[in-house]
Amino acid sequence: MDEKRRRFEAEVLPHLDAAFRFARWLSGSSNEAGDVAQEAILRAFRSFETLRGSDARAWLLAIVRNCHATAFRQAQRRAYVPLPETYEDHDGEAMIAATPDPESLSIREDEQRTLTQLLSTLPEEQRVALVLKELEDLSYRDIAAVTGVPIGTVMSRLARARAALKERAREESAGGARGLS
Amino acid sequence: MDCPESLRAQAYFDGELDAAAAAAFERHVEHCAECRTTLEDHQRLRTALRADLASEQAPAALRARIGRALDREHSHSPRAWQKRPFWLGALSGLGAAAVAAAVAFLVVTAPVQDPLVDQLVAAHVQSLLPDHLIAVLSTDRHTVKPWFAGRADVSPVVADFAAQGYRLVGGRIDPLDRQRAAVVVYQHGPHVINVFSWVTDRRVLPRDGTQSGYHLAFWSAGNLEYCAVSDTGWAELLALERLLREASRAEERPE
Repeated sequence: MDEKRRRFEAEVLPHLDAAFRFARWLSGSSNEAGDVAQEAILRAFRSFETLRGSDARAWLLAIVRNCHATAFRQAQRRAYVPLPETYEDHDGEAMIAATPDPESLSIREDEQRTLTQLLSTLPEEQRVALVLKELEDLSYRDIAAVTGVPIGTVMSRLARARAALKERAREESAGGARGLS
Repeated sequence: MDCPESLRAQAYFDGELDAAAAAAFERHVEHCAECRTTLEDHQRLRTALRADLASEQAPAALRARIGRALDREHSHSPRAWQKRPFWLGALSGLGAAAVAAAVAFLVVTAPVQDPLVDQLVAAHVQSLLPDHLIAVLSTDRHTVKPWFAGRADVSPVVADFAAQGYRLVGGRIDPLDRQRAAVVVYQHGPHVINVFSWVTDRRVLPRDGTQSGYHLAFWSAGNLEYCAVSDTGWAELLALERLLREASRAEERPE
């Protein structure tokens, strides 16, 4: 094993769990998360020289985010999206929604949701900010670097995500589901 | 979240304030019930999230896979990670659309993916290339229908729905699942609609759905299965399906 590989295994590979978790939150599936995490690790290895002293975990998570974005665009082009069962061709509104929004479907169909599912109802940018903060404990500065937005935006996304989850958890517990309070 | 300090409360909670600012906020929170509630809410959420989710680890199989992939990185083959079949490059001479069709045909992604869907989309894309759409050019169903006899394995319903906006423009034969499928081509406004038909076999028909921007509507009538493929809207596609189902029923009735 050469010097580069040894340093990579010591500095970057310990963050594989974080990379996998983050990919899972981005993609919503373990299989895809594995592929994304693997691709990210390989890309990280190839550009290991660019790490240079910055935080290895934030650096790797930024690569994960890019890999997911690429994979997501590719999947969108070739995925087969079923027409919703509820589609009725006399319903003028439904015609516009050629691509159903799985999240909104699950909100309607699934009244009893766990915290995980609540989290998945957040807009992606809010969910990503919250996951990076609460699960990976990244600083605002690192979250800003990973997501490519200013720190102020990170702060407002976090605030909106937390407020929305609190609100939804309150609604859930009013309906008798497992909540936060 | 009405207290103007709520963002500061969040920054304090997240450990983003320097010592002086943190001390100032601690003085504020002593007499601000709202900020105290905010801090408690944040803490409850954090505890719940971490209890639920933080322990997830990368599967051991993934770790091993990555180790092997890193080993391959060492063998200095810069493109090894692409793992594209060599003949895909050889196909590029056929033009980008053909390669796109080939890729659409070959790449099976999600488990829900039905290879039939890929074949139909590839055939539809192929038909949009110049000179591929129509083998028998006719707006007359009495020309198109007999043309299929002896050429295709099926004799589908052929009808002109010009009055309803679906102009019959012709037909062709496409290989589909080892059958010679009959394809009846309609024009609806600027959109081409290919209606594929083949003999019913054991399979369950895929659900109606969308791939690569093309809608696919499936149905069966008599001993045939049909799929209409187009980039037209769902309403237009399903309206044609209805018309064709009615035409099938009319054909089955004894004269």
